[in-house]
Amino acid sequence: MLRLIKSKIFILLIISIALLVTIGFSSMRNSRVNYISDIFSTILSPFQRFINSSGDKINDFFAHFDDIDRLRKENELLKQRIDELETEREDLIEFKVKNEELRQALNIKDQYSDRESIGANIIAKDMGNWFNIFTIDRGTKDGMKNDYPVVTSKGLVGRVMKADLFSSKVISIIDEDSSVSARLSKTSDLVIVKGDNKLKDQGLCIMEYIPADVDVAVNDSVETSGMGGIYPKGIIIGKVKEVRQRTNELDRYAIIEPSVDFKRLEEVLVLKEKNSNSEAGENNR
Amino acid sequence: MRLKIIAYTILIFLTVLIQSTLGSYINVYGVKPNITIVVIVVVALLRNNIEGAVVGFFCGLLQDSASGMVIGFYALLGLYLGLTVSSLNKKLYRENVLIAVFLTFVFSVIYEYLVYFLNTFLRSPLGFIYPMQKVIIPEAIYNCVISIFVFIIVVKMHRRFEEFDKNSRRY
Repeated sequence: MLRLIKSKIFILLIISIALLVTIGFSSMRNSRVNYISDIFSTILSPFQRFINSSGDKINDFFAHFDDIDRLRKENELLKQRIDELETEREDLIEFKVKNEELRQALNIKDQYSDRESIGANIIAKDMGNWFNIFTIDRGTKDGMKNDYPVVTSKGLVGRVMKADLFSSKVISIIDEDSSVSARLSKTSDLVIVKGDNKLKDQGLCIMEYIPADVDVAVNDSVETSGMGGIYPKGIIIGKVKEVRQRTNELDRYAIIEPSVDFKRLEEVLVLKEKNSNSEAGENNR
Repeated sequence: MRLKIIAYTILIFLTVLIQSTLGSYINVYGVKPNITIVVIVVVALLRNNIEGAVVGFFCGLLQDSASGMVIGFYALLGLYLGLTVSSLNKKLYRENVLIAVFLTFVFSVIYEYLVYFLNTFLRSPLGFIYPMQKVIIPEAIYNCVISIFVFIIVVKMHRRFEEFDKNSRRY
């Protein structure tokens, strides 16, 4: 018996089974096993932050010289653009006031209004080539929780997959494991936007379950539908790039070009819930 | 013993740190090298099977907590990778860079296929060819290049350990 316990194969077997059990437990949401990763990521995150910020500084220094000429031209263009936008803005303010009045009349609850956005830097990208998960420098200490939506000013990025103490892992919408309930802005038809293994490298994702009677065209914009409770309604996801058919006309899918450029993502915003009694909501889900 | 633990801790920590931060800066054609595989293969090749397995396990565990979806997946893969490579090393002349490069290539392909299939077999599989062309073969080649540098570092560590062992045995 003693020899059995001491033999290497036995020890190996025990470790393997223990690891398989750990995998099983950690795949559950909010399980205690995830504290193990909390420990390591707390140690890692300050170093990751340091390397990332110093890398950016070096990049900035060299970019400085190229920028001057480009900035002058850009400045000209931007000044023109400001004039255009000023006039547009005045129209929009008018619309906004009108919109708010109508909203109040209809008593529509704005899903954005109970959210508060927190800026975060991306400090590490996924290690392998298969997934699209990245680490941001905000953790549970800053009020992060699992499933908080992550956006930029341009559109949807993804959601917080796991919040550690000082850092959180964010799964982006182009990852295979991500699926977002979305709708076409034009017709309000519900669809699902998913990540795809082949398209991920190009930063694209696919739209599935398109209702048969819906007319989808290129350049139609897609936004979140608010179903499912993770993403608030009306965040822009992207535009339809191509509509494809699988076997027959009913079975079709579209390729979506997200409005966020995932390759050049550096800073993101996390939409945090303002009221602190969100615990109850999480348990109900 | 203490020397070994400190050296391996620093090695594993730096590996995961470099992989998770600078990995996206040093990618070529959208593919980044996997330094953790290289480190596990080289250490397991040069040292005995217990050290190979332990380094593999901790590399994997740190990788799990830095980027994995579940805890234990990469740790398990790393453990067996370390064991497999180190069970081969008695039959080979270990202190040869070419063997390290060759083994890195072979085990990168096996490892990445395992990661790929274990993660996609429940969904619609994409077959063998696509991931091989796009990710696995370029990554394996890139890993081979990295393995030369890692080999030089680990060989130095290896010689230091051997010397240390000899000295401590004398007394």
